[in-house]
Amino acid sequence: MKHSLLRLMVLRKLGYRGSRAAKKRILFNILLISLVVASLVFAQIFVISMSRGIADKYALLGNGHLQVHETGELDLEPIQGILDTQLVAQSYALIYSPQANKMVRLKGVGSDYFNEMRLSQLTMGAQETSEETNLPQILLSTTLAEELEVEVNDRVALMLVSQSSIRPQLCVIRNLYDSGYQELDGNLVFCDYDLMHRLFGGKEETYYELLVEQSRMKIIKQELAAKGYSVTSWDEENYSVATNLNTSRQAVLGVMVAVAILCGYFISELSRELVEDDKHKIAMLTLLGARKVFIRKVYFTTVMLVTMISVGAGTLAGMVLANNLGPVLAYIADQSIPSLAYYLLDFVIVIPVLDILLIIVVLALVSMVSVRWSLRMVKVIEPLACTHFD
Amino acid sequence: MTKSAEVLSLKQVSKSFPATLRGGQPIQILQQVSLSLIASTSIAITGRSGSGKSTLLQISAGLLGCDSGQVIFENQQISTLDDVKLSMLRCKRMGFIFQSSLLLDDFNALENVQIPAMIAGSSEKQARKRALELLQTVGLADRLYHTSDQLSGGERQRVAIARALVNEPAVIFADEPTGSLDERNAQLVEDLLFNLVSERKVSLMLITHNNAFASRCDIVYHLHDKKLEVDA
Repeated sequence: MKHSLLRLMVLRKLGYRGSRAAKKRILFNILLISLVVASLVFAQIFVISMSRGIADKYALLGNGHLQVHETGELDLEPIQGILDTQLVAQSYALIYSPQANKMVRLKGVGSDYFNEMRLSQLTMGAQETSEETNLPQILLSTTLAEELEVEVNDRVALMLVSQSSIRPQLCVIRNLYDSGYQELDGNLVFCDYDLMHRLFGGKEETYYELLVEQSRMKIIKQELAAKGYSVTSWDEENYSVATNLNTSRQAVLGVMVAVAILCGYFISELSRELVEDDKHKIAMLTLLGARKVFIRKVYFTTVMLVTMISVGAGTLAGMVLANNLGPVLAYIADQSIPSLAYYLLDFVIVIPVLDILLIIVVLALVSMVSVRWSLRMVKVIEPLACTHFD
Repeated sequence: MTKSAEVLSLKQVSKSFPATLRGGQPIQILQQVSLSLIASTSIAITGRSGSGKSTLLQISAGLLGCDSGQVIFENQQISTLDDVKLSMLRCKRMGFIFQSSLLLDDFNALENVQIPAMIAGSSEKQARKRALELLQTVGLADRLYHTSDQLSGGERQRVAIARALVNEPAVIFADEPTGSLDERNAQLVEDLLFNLVSERKVSLMLITHNNAFASRCDIVYHLHDKKLEVDA
């Protein structure tokens, strides 16, 4: 009995075969809660995707997922999950153009360094130098090229600083790349590995850059360490960047959870509103013998159904919106808006399932508690109250 | 008549209300009022406006507590019952009809009659069947799916009568059931109420201003100066 009565009353509260006003109120609340949830989900996806995008840039173009500080042959057997191994050399230099100069990180890499994974993180310029020259060739980012006011085929001077000497080296710009994240590529210059050795004469830092499966990164690191190698991960190499990203992610998640708590609390406003408007009906039901527990269950079920429908719709909307963000971001990136110059606008959308679940669970729990709390007001409605309208 | 046939009795019931929100002398409404309602009989309470008729009905139905005295409904002292038992008693053994029909406006006529039966524990099918039968009896077979705002005052009151009878109560408490109706509809509702009450052997406690209506009851009480007197 109770189930069929509960179903009948909840459906009517939800506006099924109910009045237009009841339908409107429920739809408005669903829309409102969905909007908040969609914004939360979208913002969380955006922030997580962007920070993962930045981390990927640092890992794939900066230092690899793992760095093995070894110059000899690496023994990688039988470690699984290693996707790419590159011997690289790096040092620092001052780069001079006729118009400007800047301290840069010079990274010497092999010819197969820019594999598919790394190429996915950057856009190579279409125009490559065709000049026959004996000068060393280097690869600059478009950001750096703009700062130095140089183009492909232009010449720049590198001031190479080693322990014993400082000497200039003229180079020609082979091509320009764009990682989409100026913070990283603004001072990263690529050249051939052999050239690094020639320029610095062994004073450069040499190590192996490993790209690995993200899920196995810790295990691989442990296995390499067990073999006696000195291994660091990308976040250890870029400690401040990794810490900032992590802190930002946690802070944003904290803010989202706080908003979810507020939203959950304000959902109880709907139950308060429903009970306030239905005082007369509640009194009538009590007069007819319905128990207060049952009446509270009707309102609780109604509001929680509205919440669940809204959360579902909002989550879906947030995910759909985030997944279709690519073209919009690409368009914004193309506009080269100065205020967005230091933001990564080209990243792969990832769905942070656990974060979204946390937001939803917090919202649902807070709304459950606050709705139950608000429904205490049903207790004070006496059956006699229905005759006050008489 | 035997004591066991008594469905409702009030013994020495007194009731007062605070004079103002700031206190002061309480206003005495009922003083040492006693009455008895025997199964399958009807009583009417008449009296001037503000004399305490509705208060007496509310105390009798357990909707309002009294300051002193006892209200006994089917051998149970109402003041000793907890909320759950009192709810069940109201649901299964009492029926209510007020001046305004007080229908649940989210629901149609059929559902309004069906809901008390479902609250009492009937299945949806049983409740629907009984509600249908009662609505046919009160002449609303063609108004089953109409909501409160689609029914006339007389029709709403007939739905209220059907609702009051759906759980086959021992007593129907009717507070000015025809008070807001025109003469024709009032007569219709009055006839219907008395016919159904006598047909179904239900006791009736009727509050009314209308002497003609009251005179159709077995006993007519007159509430005057806080006391209840049997009307000659």
